[in-house]
Amino acid sequence: MSHPAAPRAWLVGSAVAFVAGAVFFPLVGPMPLDLGAVLAHREPEWSILWQLRVSRTLLGLFAGGALSLAGSVFQAMLREALATPYTLGVSTSASLGAVIVIALGGHTVLGVPAVWMGALAGAAAVLFLVLGSAARPGRMSAFGLLLIGIATNSVCSAAILLIHGFAGLSQSFSIARWLLGSIDAIGYGALVPFVVLVAGIALWILRHARHWNLLAVGEDWASARGTPVSRLLLGGYVAGSALAASTVALTGPIGFVGLIVPHLARSRVGADHRLLMPCAFLMGGVLLAGGDAIGRSVLAPAEIPAGALMALIGGPYLVWLVRRRG
Amino acid sequence: MTPRLSITDVSYRAGTTAILDGVSLDAGAGELIALMGRNGAGKSTLLDIVAGLRPATGGAVALDGEPLDRLDNAERARRIGHLPQAVRADVPFSAWELVMMGRYPHADRWFESKADRAAVEIAMQRTGCAAFRDRPVSTLSGGERQRVLLAACLAQEPRLLLLDEPSTFLDVDQQLHCFSLLREETRRGATCVAVTHDLNLALTFATRLVVLAERRVALDVTPGAAFEAPEWLRLFSSRLRLCDDGAGGRWVSFA
Repeated sequence: MSHPAAPRAWLVGSAVAFVAGAVFFPLVGPMPLDLGAVLAHREPEWSILWQLRVSRTLLGLFAGGALSLAGSVFQAMLREALATPYTLGVSTSASLGAVIVIALGGHTVLGVPAVWMGALAGAAAVLFLVLGSAARPGRMSAFGLLLIGIATNSVCSAAILLIHGFAGLSQSFSIARWLLGSIDAIGYGALVPFVVLVAGIALWILRHARHWNLLAVGEDWASARGTPVSRLLLGGYVAGSALAASTVALTGPIGFVGLIVPHLARSRVGADHRLLMPCAFLMGGVLLAGGDAIGRSVLAPAEIPAGALMALIGGPYLVWLVRRRG
Repeated sequence: MTPRLSITDVSYRAGTTAILDGVSLDAGAGELIALMGRNGAGKSTLLDIVAGLRPATGGAVALDGEPLDRLDNAERARRIGHLPQAVRADVPFSAWELVMMGRYPHADRWFESKADRAAVEIAMQRTGCAAFRDRPVSTLSGGERQRVLLAACLAQEPRLLLLDEPSTFLDVDQQLHCFSLLREETRRGATCVAVTHDLNLALTFATRLVVLAERRVALDVTPGAAFEAPEWLRLFSSRLRLCDDGAGGRWVSFA
Protein backbone atom coordinates (compact mmCIF):
# COMPACT_ATOMS: atom_id res chain seq x y z
CA MET A 1 0.00 0.00 0.00
CA SER A 2 1.85 3.06 -1.15
CA HIS A 3 -1.04 5.48 -1.17
CA PRO A 4 -4.08 4.00 0.46
CA ALA A 5 -7.44 5.03 -0.85
CA ALA A 6 -8.44 7.06 2.21
CA PRO A 7 -5.97 9.96 1.74
CA ARG A 8 -6.92 10.36 -1.89
CA ALA A 9 -10.58 10.28 -0.92
CA TRP A 10 -9.87 13.10 1.53
CA LEU A 11 -8.24 15.10 -1.25
CA VAL A 12 -11.20 14.63 -3.56
CA GLY A 13 -13.60 15.31 -0.70
CA SER A 14 -11.94 18.56 0.30
CA ALA A 15 -11.84 19.69 -3.34
CA VAL A 16 -15.58 19.05 -3.61
CA ALA A 17 -16.15 20.89 -0.33
CA PHE A 18 -14.10 23.85 -1.59
CA VAL A 19 -16.15 24.19 -4.76
CA ALA A 20 -19.41 23.57 -2.92
CA GLY A 21 -18.42 26.23 -0.40
CA ALA A 22 -17.77 28.72 -3.18
CA VAL A 23 -21.28 28.06 -4.51
CA PHE A 24 -23.31 27.75 -1.32
CA PHE A 25 -21.61 29.91 1.35
CA PRO A 26 -22.67 33.12 -0.48
CA LEU A 27 -26.28 32.09 0.11
CA VAL A 28 -25.70 32.15 3.88
CA GLY A 29 -26.04 35.41 5.73
CA PRO A 30 -28.16 37.65 7.91
CA MET A 31 -30.53 38.30 5.03
CA PRO A 32 -31.85 35.20 3.30
CA LEU A 33 -31.63 35.57 -0.46
CA ASP A 34 -34.54 34.79 -2.71
CA LEU A 35 -32.97 32.68 -5.45
CA GLY A 36 -35.56 33.77 -7.98
CA ALA A 37 -34.72 37.42 -7.35
CA VAL A 38 -31.01 36.69 -7.70
CA LEU A 39 -31.44 34.79 -10.95
CA ALA A 40 -33.51 37.66 -12.32
CA HIS A 41 -30.65 40.03 -11.42
CA ARG A 42 -33.07 42.05 -9.25
CA GLU A 43 -31.69 44.59 -6.79
CA PRO A 44 -30.72 44.57 -4.02
CA GLU A 45 -30.43 40.75 -4.02
CA TRP A 46 -28.05 40.66 -6.97
CA SER A 47 -25.66 43.22 -5.48
CA ILE A 48 -25.76 41.63 -2.04
CA LEU A 49 -24.86 38.29 -3.53
CA TRP A 50 -22.29 39.42 -6.07
CA GLN A 51 -20.70 42.46 -4.43
CA LEU A 52 -20.85 41.36 -0.80
CA ARG A 53 -21.27 37.64 -0.31
CA VAL A 54 -19.39 36.13 -3.25
CA SER A 55 -16.32 38.33 -2.83
CA ARG A 56 -16.37 37.70 0.90
CA THR A 57 -16.62 33.94 0.42
CA LEU A 58 -13.79 33.89 -2.10
CA LEU A 59 -11.64 35.96 0.24
CA GLY A 60 -12.37 33.48 3.02
CA LEU A 61 -11.59 30.47 0.84
CA PHE A 62 -8.28 31.80 -0.43
CA ALA A 63 -7.22 33.45 2.83
CA GLY A 64 -7.85 30.21 4.73
CA GLY A 65 -6.03 28.25 2.06
CA ALA A 66 -3.08 30.64 2.06
CA LEU A 67 -2.69 30.54 5.85
CA SER A 68 -2.92 26.74 6.01
CA LEU A 69 -0.44 26.29 3.19
CA ALA A 70 1.97 28.75 4.81
CA GLY A 71 1.70 26.74 8.03
CA SER A 72 2.36 23.48 6.14
CA VAL A 73 5.46 24.87 4.47
CA PHE A 74 6.88 26.23 7.70
CA GLN A 75 6.16 23.00 9.57
CA ALA A 76 7.87 20.93 6.88
CA MET A 77 10.89 23.23 6.61
CA LEU A 78 11.49 23.62 10.31
CA ARG A 79 10.39 20.09 11.31
CA GLU A 80 8.53 21.79 14.10
CA ALA A 81 4.85 21.25 14.81
CA LEU A 82 4.50 24.75 16.22
CA ALA A 83 5.99 26.56 13.24
CA THR A 84 3.37 28.89 11.78
CA PRO A 85 3.27 32.37 10.28
CA TYR A 86 2.75 33.48 13.90
CA THR A 87 5.63 31.74 15.64
CA LEU A 88 7.95 32.95 12.90
CA GLY A 89 6.94 36.56 13.49
CA VAL A 90 5.47 37.20 10.03
CA SER A 91 1.85 37.75 11.03
CA THR A 92 2.66 39.89 14.06
CA SER A 93 5.03 42.12 12.15
CA ALA A 94 2.41 42.54 9.42
CA SER A 95 -0.08 43.45 12.13
CA LEU A 96 2.31 46.03 13.57
CA GLY A 97 2.66 47.63 10.15
CA ALA A 98 -1.12 47.82 9.80
CA VAL A 99 -1.61 49.16 13.33
CA ILE A 100 0.92 51.93 12.75
CA VAL A 101 -0.99 52.99 9.64
CA ILE A 102 -4.33 52.96 11.48
CA ALA A 103 -2.87 54.99 14.35
CA LEU A 104 -1.55 57.55 11.88
CA GLY A 105 -5.03 57.74 10.36
CA GLY A 106 -3.89 56.68 6.90
CA HIS A 107 -6.61 55.87 4.39
CA THR A 108 -5.55 55.16 0.87
CA VAL A 109 -2.32 55.44 -1.07
CA LEU A 110 -2.69 55.38 -4.86
CA GLY A 111 -6.13 53.83 -4.43
CA VAL A 112 -4.88 51.01 -2.22
CA PRO A 113 -5.96 51.03 1.42
CA ALA A 114 -2.98 52.18 3.46
CA VAL A 115 -3.55 49.43 6.02
CA TRP A 116 -2.65 46.81 3.40
CA MET A 117 0.52 48.65 2.51
CA GLY A 118 1.39 48.86 6.19
CA ALA A 119 0.87 45.12 6.73
CA LEU A 120 2.98 44.16 3.73
CA ALA A 121 5.71 46.63 4.66
CA GLY A 122 5.79 45.32 8.23
CA ALA A 123 6.17 41.71 7.09
CA ALA A 124 8.76 42.65 4.48
CA ALA A 125 10.84 44.54 7.02
CA VAL A 126 10.99 41.55 9.33
CA LEU A 127 11.60 39.19 6.41
CA PHE A 128 14.71 41.14 5.43
CA LEU A 129 15.81 41.38 9.05
CA VAL A 130 15.38 37.64 9.60
CA LEU A 131 17.03 36.63 6.35
CA GLY A 132 19.85 39.05 6.99
CA SER A 133 20.65 37.65 10.41
CA ALA A 134 19.78 33.99 9.82
CA ALA A 135 21.43 33.62 6.42
CA ARG A 136 24.93 32.29 6.76
CA PRO A 137 27.24 31.45 3.89
CA GLY A 138 26.35 27.76 4.10
CA ARG A 139 22.74 27.36 5.05
CA MET A 140 20.03 28.80 7.23
CA SER A 141 19.38 27.20 10.58
CA ALA A 142 15.74 26.32 11.19
CA PHE A 143 16.23 26.72 14.91
CA GLY A 144 17.65 30.20 14.43
CA LEU A 145 14.65 31.25 12.36
CA LEU A 146 12.29 30.12 15.10
CA LEU A 147 14.19 31.99 17.80
CA ILE A 148 14.30 35.15 15.72
CA GLY A 149 10.55 34.75 15.12
CA ILE A 150 9.91 34.57 18.85
CA ALA A 151 12.02 37.68 19.45
CA THR A 152 10.21 39.49 16.64
CA ASN A 153 6.85 38.58 18.15
CA SER A 154 7.63 39.96 21.56
CA VAL A 155 8.92 43.25 20.15
CA CYS A 156 6.03 43.68 17.71
CA SER A 157 3.39 42.72 20.29
CA ALA A 158 4.80 45.24 22.75
CA ALA A 159 4.87 47.93 20.07
CA ILE A 160 1.25 47.16 19.14
CA LEU A 161 0.20 47.45 22.80
CA LEU A 162 2.01 50.77 23.16
CA ILE A 163 0.53 52.24 19.99
CA HIS A 164 -2.89 50.96 20.95
CA GLY A 165 -2.55 52.56 24.38
CA PHE A 166 -1.44 55.95 23.11
CA ALA A 167 -3.82 56.14 20.14
CA GLY A 168 -6.90 58.35 20.21
CA LEU A 169 -10.30 56.91 21.00
CA SER A 170 -11.51 56.29 17.45
CA GLN A 171 -8.15 54.97 16.28
CA SER A 172 -7.98 52.76 19.33
CA PHE A 173 -11.36 51.29 18.44
CA SER A 174 -10.29 50.69 14.84
CA ILE A 175 -7.10 49.01 16.01
CA ALA A 176 -8.96 46.72 18.41
CA ARG A 177 -11.43 45.82 15.67
CA TRP A 178 -8.68 45.16 13.14
CA LEU A 179 -6.70 43.01 15.57
CA LEU A 180 -9.68 40.65 15.94
CA GLY A 181 -9.18 39.54 12.34
CA SER A 182 -12.17 39.27 10.07
CA ILE A 183 -13.29 38.41 6.57
CA ASP A 184 -15.10 41.36 5.02
CA ALA A 185 -16.53 42.05 1.62
CA ILE A 186 -13.84 43.55 -0.58
CA GLY A 187 -13.86 44.88 -4.09
CA TYR A 188 -12.89 42.64 -6.97
CA GLY A 189 -10.11 45.08 -7.78
CA ALA A 190 -8.33 43.88 -4.64
CA LEU A 191 -9.64 40.32 -4.61
CA VAL A 192 -8.43 39.29 -8.06
CA PRO A 193 -4.77 40.26 -7.52
CA PHE A 194 -4.89 38.51 -4.13
CA VAL A 195 -6.28 35.29 -5.62
CA VAL A 196 -3.75 35.35 -8.46
CA LEU A 197 -0.88 35.92 -6.03
CA VAL A 198 -2.00 33.14 -3.68
CA ALA A 199 -2.58 30.71 -6.54
CA GLY A 200 0.83 31.44 -8.04
CA ILE A 201 2.71 30.98 -4.78
CA ALA A 202 0.66 27.88 -3.95
CA LEU A 203 1.61 26.29 -7.26
CA TRP A 204 5.30 26.99 -6.65
CA ILE A 205 5.04 25.39 -3.21
CA LEU A 206 3.13 22.34 -4.49
CA ARG A 207 5.60 21.80 -7.30
CA HIS A 208 8.27 21.16 -4.67
CA ALA A 209 6.15 18.78 -2.57
CA ARG A 210 8.73 16.00 -2.74
CA HIS A 211 11.41 18.35 -1.46
CA TRP A 212 9.20 19.28 1.52
CA ASN A 213 8.86 15.55 2.25
CA LEU A 214 12.63 15.19 2.32
CA LEU A 215 13.15 18.35 4.37
CA ALA A 216 10.58 17.09 6.89
CA VAL A 217 13.04 14.27 7.63
CA GLY A 218 16.19 16.37 7.75
CA GLU A 219 18.37 18.79 5.80
CA ASP A 220 21.19 16.31 5.16
CA TRP A 221 18.64 13.64 4.29
CA ALA A 222 17.15 16.02 1.73
CA SER A 223 20.47 17.14 0.32
CA ALA A 224 21.61 13.54 -0.15
CA ARG A 225 18.42 12.88 -2.11
CA GLY A 226 18.67 15.74 -4.54
CA THR A 227 17.17 18.77 -2.77
CA PRO A 228 18.95 22.10 -3.20
CA VAL A 229 18.48 22.74 0.51
CA SER A 230 19.54 26.38 0.92
CA ARG A 231 17.53 27.48 -2.11
CA LEU A 232 14.41 25.61 -0.99
CA LEU A 233 14.61 26.93 2.59
CA LEU A 234 14.99 30.49 1.35
CA GLY A 235 12.23 30.05 -1.23
CA GLY A 236 9.89 28.38 1.24
CA TYR A 237 10.46 31.06 3.82
CA VAL A 238 9.76 33.87 1.38
CA ALA A 239 6.75 32.06 -0.12
CA GLY A 240 5.20 31.26 3.24
CA SER A 241 5.76 34.80 4.46
CA ALA A 242 4.26 36.28 1.29
CA LEU A 243 1.16 34.10 1.66
CA ALA A 244 0.72 35.04 5.31
CA ALA A 245 1.46 38.74 4.91
CA SER A 246 -0.82 39.31 1.94
CA THR A 247 -3.60 37.49 3.81
CA VAL A 248 -3.09 39.44 7.03
CA ALA A 249 -3.15 42.61 4.92
CA LEU A 250 -6.69 41.81 3.77
CA THR A 251 -8.15 40.14 6.85
CA GLY A 252 -6.18 41.19 9.91
CA PRO A 253 -4.50 38.56 12.02
CA ILE A 254 -6.33 35.21 11.78
CA GLY A 255 -4.02 32.86 13.57
CA PHE A 256 -5.31 29.46 14.28
CA VAL A 257 -6.01 28.35 10.73
CA GLY A 258 -2.30 28.13 9.93
CA LEU A 259 -1.68 25.99 12.99
CA ILE A 260 -4.70 23.70 13.17
CA VAL A 261 -5.46 22.87 9.58
CA PRO A 262 -2.04 21.41 8.75
CA HIS A 263 -2.34 19.22 11.87
CA LEU A 264 -5.89 18.23 11.00
CA ALA A 265 -4.93 17.43 7.41
CA ARG A 266 -1.89 15.41 8.49
CA SER A 267 -3.96 13.31 10.87
CA ARG A 268 -6.30 12.48 7.96
CA VAL A 269 -4.10 12.12 4.88
CA GLY A 270 -0.65 11.43 6.35
CA ALA A 271 2.57 13.36 5.94
CA ASP A 272 3.14 13.03 2.19
CA HIS A 273 3.10 16.69 1.15
CA ARG A 274 1.90 15.86 -2.36
CA LEU A 275 -1.45 15.03 -0.77
CA LEU A 276 -1.12 16.96 2.48
CA MET A 277 -0.52 20.39 0.97
CA PRO A 278 -3.41 20.53 -1.48
CA CYS A 279 -5.63 19.06 1.24
CA ALA A 280 -4.49 21.64 3.79
CA PHE A 281 -5.12 24.46 1.32
CA LEU A 282 -8.63 23.29 0.46
CA MET A 283 -9.62 22.40 4.03
CA GLY A 284 -8.25 25.68 5.36
CA GLY A 285 -10.29 27.61 2.82
CA VAL A 286 -13.48 25.73 3.61
CA LEU A 287 -12.94 26.10 7.36
CA LEU A 288 -12.35 29.85 7.26
CA ALA A 289 -15.06 30.68 4.71
CA GLY A 290 -17.48 28.34 6.48
CA GLY A 291 -16.60 29.80 9.87
CA ASP A 292 -17.22 33.26 8.47
CA ALA A 293 -20.58 32.19 7.01
CA ILE A 294 -21.59 30.95 10.46
CA GLY A 295 -20.13 33.97 12.22
CA ARG A 296 -22.17 36.42 10.13
CA SER A 297 -25.41 34.46 10.59
CA VAL A 298 -25.78 33.20 14.14
CA LEU A 299 -25.89 36.56 15.95
CA ALA A 300 -27.20 38.61 13.00
CA PRO A 301 -27.20 41.52 12.60
CA ALA A 302 -24.10 41.37 14.81
CA GLU A 303 -21.10 39.47 13.38
CA ILE A 304 -18.56 37.27 15.08
CA PRO A 305 -15.21 38.05 13.42
CA ALA A 306 -13.74 34.97 11.75
CA GLY A 307 -10.41 35.41 13.54
CA ALA A 308 -12.06 35.29 16.96
CA LEU A 309 -14.26 32.36 15.93
CA MET A 310 -11.27 30.38 14.65
CA ALA A 311 -9.41 30.93 17.92
CA LEU A 312 -12.48 29.97 19.98
CA ILE A 313 -12.98 26.71 18.07
CA GLY A 314 -9.35 26.02 17.23
CA GLY A 315 -7.79 26.25 20.66
CA PRO A 316 -9.92 23.54 22.28
CA TYR A 317 -9.65 21.40 19.14
CA LEU A 318 -5.86 21.54 19.26
CA VAL A 319 -5.82 20.59 22.95
CA TRP A 320 -8.16 17.68 22.17
CA LEU A 321 -5.89 16.57 19.34
CA VAL A 322 -2.80 16.66 21.53
CA ARG A 323 -4.48 14.81 24.41
CA ARG A 324 -5.85 12.12 22.13
CA ARG A 325 -2.37 11.42 20.82
CA GLY A 326 -1.07 11.21 24.38
CA MET B 1 41.19 3.65 -15.52
CA THR B 2 39.69 6.41 -13.42
CA PRO B 3 38.64 5.19 -9.99
CA ARG B 4 34.98 5.33 -8.96
CA LEU B 5 35.83 7.61 -6.06
CA SER B 6 38.91 9.73 -5.85
CA ILE B 7 39.66 11.79 -2.73
CA THR B 8 42.71 13.99 -3.20
CA ASP B 9 44.40 15.93 -0.40
CA VAL B 10 41.10 16.81 1.30
CA SER B 11 41.19 19.09 4.33
CA TYR B 12 38.43 20.31 6.59
CA ARG B 13 38.57 22.94 9.25
CA ALA B 14 35.78 23.73 11.72
CA GLY B 15 36.60 27.29 12.74
CA THR B 16 40.28 27.15 13.72
CA THR B 17 40.25 23.40 14.47
CA ALA B 18 41.61 21.16 11.73
CA ILE B 19 39.52 17.99 11.47
CA LEU B 20 41.03 16.54 8.30
CA ASP B 21 44.38 17.50 6.83
CA GLY B 22 45.52 16.06 3.52
CA VAL B 23 43.36 12.95 3.25
CA SER B 24 43.77 11.05 -0.02
CA LEU B 25 41.95 7.85 -0.92
CA ASP B 26 40.87 6.10 -4.11
CA ALA B 27 38.14 3.49 -4.28
CA GLY B 28 37.16 1.34 -7.22
CA ALA B 29 34.06 -0.60 -8.20
CA GLY B 30 33.50 -3.69 -6.07
CA GLU B 31 35.33 -2.38 -3.02
CA LEU B 32 33.84 -2.39 0.47
CA ILE B 33 35.94 -0.03 2.54
CA ALA B 34 35.62 -0.07 6.32
CA LEU B 35 36.37 3.48 7.42
CA MET B 36 37.53 3.39 11.01
CA GLY B 37 39.16 5.52 13.66
CA ARG B 38 38.62 6.71 17.18
CA ASN B 39 35.86 9.12 18.19
CA GLY B 40 36.38 12.49 16.59
CA ALA B 41 38.85 11.17 14.01
CA GLY B 42 36.81 12.79 11.22
CA LYS B 43 35.14 9.70 9.76
CA SER B 44 31.66 11.21 9.51
CA THR B 45 33.11 14.50 8.30
CA LEU B 46 34.92 12.73 5.46
CA LEU B 47 31.74 10.84 4.56
CA ASP B 48 29.74 14.09 4.56
CA ILE B 49 32.27 15.76 2.29
CA VAL B 50 32.16 12.88 -0.18
CA ALA B 51 28.36 12.89 -0.02
CA GLY B 52 28.36 16.59 -0.90
CA LEU B 53 26.68 17.53 2.38
CA ARG B 54 29.42 19.95 3.34
CA PRO B 55 32.20 21.48 1.29
CA ALA B 56 35.81 20.58 2.03
CA THR B 57 38.00 23.54 2.93
CA GLY B 58 40.75 22.13 0.72
CA GLY B 59 41.42 19.36 -1.78
CA ALA B 60 39.17 17.68 -4.32
CA VAL B 61 36.67 14.85 -4.56
CA ALA B 62 35.86 13.25 -7.91
CA LEU B 63 33.32 10.63 -8.89
CA ASP B 64 34.21 8.60 -12.01
CA GLY B 65 36.64 11.37 -12.85
CA GLU B 66 34.06 14.15 -12.52
CA PRO B 67 34.59 16.76 -9.79
CA LEU B 68 31.86 16.39 -7.16
CA ASP B 69 30.98 20.09 -7.18
CA ARG B 70 30.23 19.93 -10.91
CA LEU B 71 27.31 17.54 -10.35
CA ASP B 72 23.94 19.12 -9.63
CA ASN B 73 22.00 17.90 -6.60
CA ALA B 74 19.76 15.49 -8.48
CA GLU B 75 22.63 13.91 -10.43
CA ARG B 76 24.68 13.60 -7.26
CA ALA B 77 21.74 11.87 -5.55
CA ARG B 78 21.40 9.37 -8.40
CA ARG B 79 25.04 8.38 -8.04
CA ILE B 80 25.76 8.68 -4.32
CA GLY B 81 23.72 7.27 -1.45
CA HIS B 82 24.29 8.39 2.13
CA LEU B 83 23.09 6.57 5.22
CA PRO B 84 23.06 9.03 8.12
CA GLN B 85 23.94 8.03 11.67
CA ALA B 86 20.34 8.71 12.60
CA VAL B 87 17.27 10.64 11.57
CA ARG B 88 15.03 12.48 13.99
CA ALA B 89 12.98 10.08 16.09
CA ASP B 90 9.61 11.68 15.32
CA VAL B 91 9.72 11.43 11.53
CA PRO B 92 6.07 11.72 10.45
CA PHE B 93 6.31 9.13 7.66
CA SER B 94 5.65 5.40 7.43
CA ALA B 95 8.53 3.01 6.77
CA TRP B 96 7.32 2.58 3.20
CA GLU B 97 7.20 6.33 2.58
CA LEU B 98 10.71 6.79 3.97
CA VAL B 99 12.16 4.05 1.78
CA MET B 100 10.32 5.51 -1.22
CA MET B 101 12.29 8.73 -0.73
CA GLY B 102 15.25 6.80 -2.11
CA ARG B 103 13.43 6.80 -5.44
CA TYR B 104 12.87 10.58 -5.57
CA PRO B 105 16.11 11.30 -7.45
CA HIS B 106 15.05 8.84 -10.15
CA ALA B 107 11.38 9.74 -10.48
CA ASP B 108 10.26 12.48 -12.82
CA ARG B 109 6.54 12.05 -12.26
CA TRP B 110 4.26 13.37 -9.54
CA PHE B 111 3.80 9.95 -7.94
CA GLU B 112 6.26 7.08 -8.26
CA SER B 113 5.95 4.48 -11.00
CA LYS B 114 5.36 0.77 -10.70
CA ALA B 115 9.10 0.22 -11.15
CA ASP B 116 9.83 2.56 -8.24
CA ARG B 117 7.39 0.67 -6.03
CA ALA B 118 9.00 -2.62 -7.05
CA ALA B 119 12.46 -1.28 -6.14
CA VAL B 120 11.15 -0.21 -2.74
CA GLU B 121 9.52 -3.58 -2.22
CA ILE B 122 12.75 -5.44 -3.01
CA ALA B 123 14.86 -3.17 -0.80
CA MET B 124 12.48 -3.70 2.13
CA GLN B 125 12.49 -7.47 1.59
CA ARG B 126 16.29 -7.59 1.52
CA THR B 127 16.62 -5.64 4.77
CA GLY B 128 13.77 -7.48 6.48
CA CYS B 129 11.54 -4.41 6.75
CA ALA B 130 8.50 -5.83 4.98
CA ALA B 131 6.83 -6.83 8.25
CA PHE B 132 6.56 -3.21 9.39
CA ARG B 133 6.31 -1.45 6.05
CA ASP B 134 3.15 0.50 6.92
CA ARG B 135 4.08 1.41 10.48
CA PRO B 136 5.05 4.98 11.33
CA VAL B 137 8.84 5.23 11.59
CA SER B 138 8.38 6.94 14.95
CA THR B 139 7.00 3.71 16.45
CA LEU B 140 9.86 1.49 15.28
CA SER B 141 12.71 0.30 17.48
CA GLY B 142 16.21 1.65 16.89
CA GLY B 143 17.28 -1.45 14.99
CA GLU B 144 14.13 -1.56 12.86
CA ARG B 145 14.58 2.12 12.02
CA GLN B 146 18.21 1.47 11.05
CA ARG B 147 17.08 -1.24 8.61
CA VAL B 148 14.53 1.15 7.10
CA LEU B 149 17.27 3.72 6.51
CA LEU B 150 19.44 1.05 4.88
CA ALA B 151 16.50 0.02 2.68
CA ALA B 152 16.08 3.66 1.62
CA CYS B 153 19.74 3.74 0.55
CA LEU B 154 19.46 0.44 -1.35
CA ALA B 155 16.30 1.62 -3.13
CA GLN B 156 18.26 4.66 -4.31
CA GLU B 157 20.52 2.27 -6.28
CA PRO B 158 23.63 4.45 -6.13
CA ARG B 159 27.03 3.49 -7.51
CA LEU B 160 28.69 4.84 -4.41
CA LEU B 161 27.14 3.96 -1.07
CA LEU B 162 28.34 5.90 1.98
CA LEU B 163 27.19 4.47 5.29
CA ASP B 164 27.72 6.15 8.64
CA GLU B 165 27.70 3.33 11.18
CA PRO B 166 25.17 1.11 9.39
CA SER B 167 25.27 -1.57 12.10
CA THR B 168 24.34 0.72 15.01
CA PHE B 169 21.36 -0.55 17.02
CA LEU B 170 21.36 -3.85 15.11
CA ASP B 171 21.42 -7.21 16.89
CA VAL B 172 24.36 -9.48 16.04
CA ASP B 173 22.50 -11.43 13.38
CA GLN B 174 21.30 -8.23 11.73
CA GLN B 175 24.82 -6.77 11.85
CA LEU B 176 26.07 -9.76 9.90
CA HIS B 177 23.12 -9.51 7.52
CA CYS B 178 23.75 -5.79 7.00
CA PHE B 179 27.38 -6.28 6.02
CA SER B 180 26.46 -9.28 3.85
CA LEU B 181 24.09 -6.99 1.98
CA LEU B 182 26.87 -4.46 1.47
CA ARG B 183 29.09 -7.21 0.07
CA GLU B 184 26.28 -8.18 -2.30
CA GLU B 185 26.06 -4.60 -3.47
CA THR B 186 29.78 -4.44 -4.15
CA ARG B 187 29.68 -7.73 -6.05
CA ARG B 188 27.06 -6.12 -8.28
CA GLY B 189 29.54 -3.34 -9.02
CA ALA B 190 28.80 -0.74 -6.37
CA THR B 191 31.42 0.87 -4.16
CA CYS B 192 30.72 0.99 -0.43
CA VAL B 193 32.40 3.05 2.26
CA ALA B 194 31.09 2.10 5.70
CA VAL B 195 32.09 3.79 8.93
CA THR B 196 32.21 1.22 11.70
CA HIS B 197 33.69 0.71 15.15
CA ASP B 198 33.36 -3.06 14.93
CA LEU B 199 36.81 -4.36 14.02
CA ASN B 200 35.62 -7.95 13.60
CA LEU B 201 32.86 -6.98 11.18
CA ALA B 202 35.40 -4.93 9.25
CA LEU B 203 37.98 -7.74 9.14
CA THR B 204 35.32 -10.24 8.09
CA PHE B 205 33.49 -8.35 5.37
CA ALA B 206 35.56 -5.40 4.14
CA THR B 207 37.88 -5.62 1.17
CA ARG B 208 39.93 -2.76 2.61
CA LEU B 209 40.48 -1.22 6.02
CA VAL B 210 41.09 2.52 6.19
CA VAL B 211 41.88 4.05 9.56
CA LEU B 212 41.84 7.79 10.18
CA ALA B 213 44.10 9.14 12.92
CA GLU B 214 45.81 12.45 13.48
CA ARG B 215 43.59 14.07 10.83
CA ARG B 216 44.86 11.83 8.01
CA VAL B 217 44.85 8.27 6.69
CA ALA B 218 46.96 6.29 9.14
CA LEU B 219 46.32 2.85 7.66
CA ASP B 220 45.05 1.59 4.31
CA VAL B 221 45.40 -2.20 3.97
CA THR B 222 43.54 -5.36 3.04
CA PRO B 223 42.20 -7.56 5.88
CA GLY B 224 44.84 -10.16 4.98
CA ALA B 225 47.66 -7.70 5.45
CA ALA B 226 46.04 -6.45 8.64
CA PHE B 227 46.28 -9.95 10.11
CA GLU B 228 49.95 -10.26 9.15
CA ALA B 229 51.01 -7.09 10.95
CA PRO B 230 48.66 -6.36 13.87
CA GLU B 231 50.55 -3.31 15.20
CA TRP B 232 47.78 -1.10 13.76
CA LEU B 233 45.48 -2.24 16.59
CA ARG B 234 47.26 0.30 18.79
CA LEU B 235 45.53 3.01 16.75
CA PHE B 236 42.39 1.98 18.61
CA SER B 237 43.52 0.72 21.99
CA SER B 238 46.54 -0.86 23.66
CA ARG B 239 44.29 -3.62 25.01
CA LEU B 240 43.55 -5.41 21.71
CA ARG B 241 45.02 -8.70 20.52
CA LEU B 242 44.58 -10.74 17.36
CA CYS B 243 43.55 -14.33 18.04
CA ASP B 244 43.77 -17.33 15.75
CA ASP B 245 42.03 -20.64 16.46
CA GLY B 246 44.23 -22.46 14.00
CA ALA B 247 41.25 -23.48 11.87
CA GLY B 248 41.00 -20.27 9.86
CA GLY B 249 38.97 -18.36 12.46
CA ARG B 250 40.65 -15.10 13.42
CA TRP B 251 39.31 -12.26 15.46
CA VAL B 252 40.19 -9.26 17.58
CA SER B 253 39.84 -9.82 21.30
CA PHE B 254 40.24 -7.67 24.39
CA ALA B 255 43.15 -8.10 26.74
